Amino acid sequence: MMPLLRSELRKVTTTKVLFFLTLAVVLFTALNVCLLVYLTPSAMGAENNDQLLMNPEYIDNIVGAAGSSALFVLILGIVAMTGEYRHMTITATLLVTPKRSRILIAKGLVFLVIGAIIGLIGFATAIVLATITLSGKEHAPIDSGVALQILGGVVLGFAIYAFLGVAVGALIRNQVAAVVGALVWVLVLEALITVFVDWIGKWLPGGALDAVLQATNVSGRGGSEVLSVGAGAVVLVGYAVLLGAIASTTTMRRDIT
Amino acid sequence: MSTIAQTLTIDHLSKRFGKVHAVRDLSFTVEPGRVTGFLGPNGSGKTTTLRCLLGLVRPSDGTASIGGQPYRDLDHPGRVVGAALEASGFHPGRTARGHLRVIADALDLPKARVDEVLGLVGLEDAAGRKAGGFSLGMRQRLSLAAALVGDPGILILDEPANGLDPEGIAWLRGLLRGLAREGRTVLVSSHVLSEVQQTVDDVVIISKGALVRAGSLADLAGNGAVRVRVRSPRREALIRALEVPGEDPPPTVLEPTDDGELLVTGLTASDIGRRAFLAGVELHELTQQTNDLESLFLELTATGTPGGTA
Repeated sequence: MMPLLRSELRKVTTTKVLFFLTLAVVLFTALNVCLLVYLTPSAMGAENNDQLLMNPEYIDNIVGAAGSSALFVLILGIVAMTGEYRHMTITATLLVTPKRSRILIAKGLVFLVIGAIIGLIGFATAIVLATITLSGKEHAPIDSGVALQILGGVVLGFAIYAFLGVAVGALIRNQVAAVVGALVWVLVLEALITVFVDWIGKWLPGGALDAVLQATNVSGRGGSEVLSVGAGAVVLVGYAVLLGAIASTTTMRRDIT
Repeated sequence: MSTIAQTLTIDHLSKRFGKVHAVRDLSFTVEPGRVTGFLGPNGSGKTTTLRCLLGLVRPSDGTASIGGQPYRDLDHPGRVVGAALEASGFHPGRTARGHLRVIADALDLPKARVDEVLGLVGLEDAAGRKAGGFSLGMRQRLSLAAALVGDPGILILDEPANGLDPEGIAWLRGLLRGLAREGRTVLVSSHVLSEVQQTVDDVVIISKGALVRAGSLADLAGNGAVRVRVRSPRREALIRALEVPGEDPPPTVLEPTDDGELLVTGLTASDIGRRAFLAGVELHELTQQTNDLESLFLELTATGTPGGTA
């Protein structure tokens, strides 16, 4: 299994998609921190930003700003898996490792680690930028205990989301269809379903991710309750494993022509 | 490299894609130590057969095995078999070296081996360039490098000469001959017989998914049209001279439209000359026609008489 993992890791490090999506996470997180620090979200019902910055929960939100970039690691996992079919590198991959489920497992594990590292980078971006932009302003202190919790959540959430992306890509081999499908699901369908059936929201992938990330609210379902961190992680891993299992008994078995 | 483990066996293989019957009840074997040409026109089922052999396509019926085992059951398939299936399976943004390192990593081979095969296929100067910018010839060389990286005893190459310049084809010929001489099994597909004619020992010819001929190239040439063109002012006497009673098999005498000309199949030029001389028949021309394998190949694959073996 080690050579296979090394090979899968080499695939990611020899193309540019990892760099650009990590950059996207950093930039989007930075943008988020700046918006939260300098502008006043009207939804918060505060008169001005200075008032908000005195609110410890608002500060937690700034620290957890990386969570809003989770979609990029989902896309990363999808692109990595579907890219094998798009560029037909799957042929070379399967010639060395003909047992197809092993490929899926190896790629899933590698992206679990990559997702965790990107989560760490995203969190670092948020905490560093928050410290810089908040200095010189009057604000509630950054609670280091909460910050650590958020760090754990972001690392875990991003890891599982990248893994989930690989499973989605294995199931939907067309790259464009898989990426668009995933975006439509997370950004539109899941929010829509939750609006009408509130209790179901926390059990859906986006809702489960919210639970893992805590403090952050990715899919913007304000009032919807969330699971505990552990339950959210289990649900999210469950989705990834389920999709991966379906893929390895269906799409992964197809002829490579 | 044991001989039995290196024999490729296609046994009553059939593959249907929906309504398309790509391969029909195909059987043949490929022996080590020889270069085998796998020939057929475009769309005759060559690639599908090779993909069945490599576990990429599931046969509808029959089996394709390597040393008696299906590809996916081999212990280290990437070290037993090296395959180059298309000049396209590259990520356009990955360098030639990167592509090979991905494969070498999975085979647990060091970077040094990658540089070795890059040199072997003549890509050392392009190692750091992205495959997306490669010409067809360079992509062929990269595919070949990928097939060779695991130092396999069996090589399966799909149209490897496609896109190579004459110099490249000559180089490929030398490489494949050398690999076969080392005792490896080399199976090379092509839709142009002349492209591989000087490279192969054995040929397997298929058409419309079914076997047309399988045997050595020499057999194919012998069984085919060894024709001699003879011209004589006394054609009737010549025909009598050539038709020796009770001979088995009798030579086939063909009469072309040109007057005084005969096309003789089944007798060598020297036989004809001797018989004509003994019968006192004057000859104006006695030409052994160059054995045109290419037209024989076209003839075989066009009629597509399936099932026959040479």
